[in-house]
Amino acid sequence: MANTSGNAYGLTTLCPIINGHSPTGSLTTSLLATKDSESHDKKIRRLLQSLPINEDSLFARTDNTYFARLFILNDVFFQQGNDFKRDQLKSKYLCFNSNFHGELEPYLTRMWNNNESLVREIWQHCVAFDRVNRAKDFVEYIKSCQVTTTLFFNGSNDKPVKEQLKALYVKQMFSEFVLTQQGKSATETKQNFKYFLQRVQLNNIESPSWKPGQSQIKVN
Amino acid sequence: MTNIKNNRPLDLYDIQGNICKGYGRFGFPKARYCFFNFKHTRSANTFLTHLIDRITTSETWPISDDKDHQNIKPKSTLNIGFTYSGLKALKLPERSLKSFPVDFTMGMRARSSLLGDTGISSPEHWDDIWQDNKEGTGQVHAWLAINGRDLDAIELEFNILEDLIKQHPDGVRLLPGLKGPNNTNLNYQDASAVFENGNPTAKEHFGFTDGISNPYFEGCGNSKNRIPGRGKLMRDGSWQPLATGEFILGHIDEAQEYPPAPEPKLLSRNGTFMVYRKLHENVDTFNNYIDELTKDFSGSRDLLMAKMSGRWPDNGAPLTLAATDDEKACLDARMIALELRVKDGDRSALAERKILRSKWSDFTFADDKSGGKCPIGAHIRRTNTRGSLETENEAFDRPGALVDRRRLMRRGLPYGGIDEAMSDKSEQGIIFMSIGASIERQFEFVQQQWVNYSNDFKLGNDKDPLIGSHSGQITDKHIIQADTDSDLKDNKPPFFCTQMPRFVETRGGDYFFIPSITALRMIAEGMIDPS
Repeated sequence: MANTSGNAYGLTTLCPIINGHSPTGSLTTSLLATKDSESHDKKIRRLLQSLPINEDSLFARTDNTYFARLFILNDVFFQQGNDFKRDQLKSKYLCFNSNFHGELEPYLTRMWNNNESLVREIWQHCVAFDRVNRAKDFVEYIKSCQVTTTLFFNGSNDKPVKEQLKALYVKQMFSEFVLTQQGKSATETKQNFKYFLQRVQLNNIESPSWKPGQSQIKVN
Repeated sequence: MTNIKNNRPLDLYDIQGNICKGYGRFGFPKARYCFFNFKHTRSANTFLTHLIDRITTSETWPISDDKDHQNIKPKSTLNIGFTYSGLKALKLPERSLKSFPVDFTMGMRARSSLLGDTGISSPEHWDDIWQDNKEGTGQVHAWLAINGRDLDAIELEFNILEDLIKQHPDGVRLLPGLKGPNNTNLNYQDASAVFENGNPTAKEHFGFTDGISNPYFEGCGNSKNRIPGRGKLMRDGSWQPLATGEFILGHIDEAQEYPPAPEPKLLSRNGTFMVYRKLHENVDTFNNYIDELTKDFSGSRDLLMAKMSGRWPDNGAPLTLAATDDEKACLDARMIALELRVKDGDRSALAERKILRSKWSDFTFADDKSGGKCPIGAHIRRTNTRGSLETENEAFDRPGALVDRRRLMRRGLPYGGIDEAMSDKSEQGIIFMSIGASIERQFEFVQQQWVNYSNDFKLGNDKDPLIGSHSGQITDKHIIQADTDSDLKDNKPPFFCTQMPRFVETRGGDYFFIPSITALRMIAEGMIDPS
């Protein structure tokens, strides 16, 4: 079925960027100062290039994101051998792709609720976004820009992110456990395995585990 | 596959000798490497012009040293290469300079993070000679190598070189800053095969037998008997020479293309690139690690070492030939018996010995997919995968299609271990030199993806047990797989070598262009014209 694969959802959106320059003095950003004379797409690009990463990423702060990206589409090129085509688009587009666990509406609502000011800052340069004032509007806005997709991020299954992170954590810890048990007696290994199980708390999905977007090895 | 018959023979007299020959095998167990800075282009050009006639080419020599042949080989050899800054100092035209590949123009120092030269191996810890990387009188511009049958022959050639430098005081400077034995600061780097009972061996300072199975390429001038195990593995199990263009510019490579090369063609044809690295060996750390681990290992110390390298330390026999202590004892007994018969003049024993010895190079890992014999992460299985990356049946044109484009032609010798007692702090290791048409595709790829990473081997981020950039963490490991392929399954668990420290540290080096004799003459005469 389009847009879903099991419990994984593949969202692809093309949000048209306002043509021309932004009105003088009307825009301020908390992340960086942009020149008023810049075009909207330039302002978005500069903002995207300065977005927080890893644990502080917009998507690490939106639960259950597997993989997401934001980029600007200027024009569409196609080339295969000598066959070359270029579509001049009516506007530039902000492309927002996200693969996540669960359903679309709750996901977008979470995204808005957890990151409202940043979402506004990014999308304010898109056509008709000035009509978006609350989570429900954001959901509707994104859905109106949605394109149907059947392509999914291959590096993930369709389980909740916390479950996947815990599984990776346990796998990694188990490898380390095995490496430290070489040459030990069966009794000792059994005892150590008990401690290992107590330490990793298989049934506690929250902790200890890796955090979404975690870039350094330290357990929360 | 390139067709040998249709390919014109190589002009071996135009190709520098270190490209086609591993000098050690031809009876040159000693070497001296020195580095130059060109102060003044015109004077440097005159210096080079005088040097050209002394440069050793790849002309064919007989291996034997009998009376008929001994005058053909010189007592010493001389070869030269240039860094990118050296070619700039020699004022190559801008267009030629810009046509060199980016790996070479950046140089090894700037590529250190992708090579795993981090921590103690990072450039700030390299010998003084590599510290001055700004344009000026200290920058390394050229590498000169003298290989000799003995130290006297080297000294003789070195004296000639020093005289020539004295005649060009404004043009050429022999650079100091190479750390020698007992904390000396030298203007040369000596290297030597490790001698045992007065005879040179193929050993390095950890005790491994090194330098086996160097690649064989079309037109190299070496005996065709050397193709099996050294060329490229064909679908029917036979071996063919690798395409010349994998190792020499201006010739077709394994992709049926001319490798990217600087312009004009006369500058690059019959030339190549060389990686020079001084690799320090921490002998104490290595020996202590092996001694400690042997206590837990269910085999001999030699077997443990073999499971790390893929070859038995004493004679270099591959684990595919003898995978256990018992099998090795049988192999040794067979070799001794053959030697005795050969001594008695038994000609069939001579042939039998030759066939057996050919298996040192002529093997694959086809019967050892699980790594029960030679561990999947062992040094030789990483650096020359011999078709083992074709995990699905006939996935490629040839089983070794991936490795054929990533072969490293090793030139170089051990250094140190002669003038001071060996410890981690003393100066000993390997002068690693690797020749190939693309530093990035061959050396850098192998170093980054196969030595310091293991995704292609499905071993996560394990590193090469001998030369990997380890740091002693529990997960710095090497897995010795249990034998699950053979009928004699012993149900043993795999053995883990953990907390591996850094046995080998990088102490300096750079990337060099080794021009043909034609190009060298044109560089010296300022005649390079890419227009």
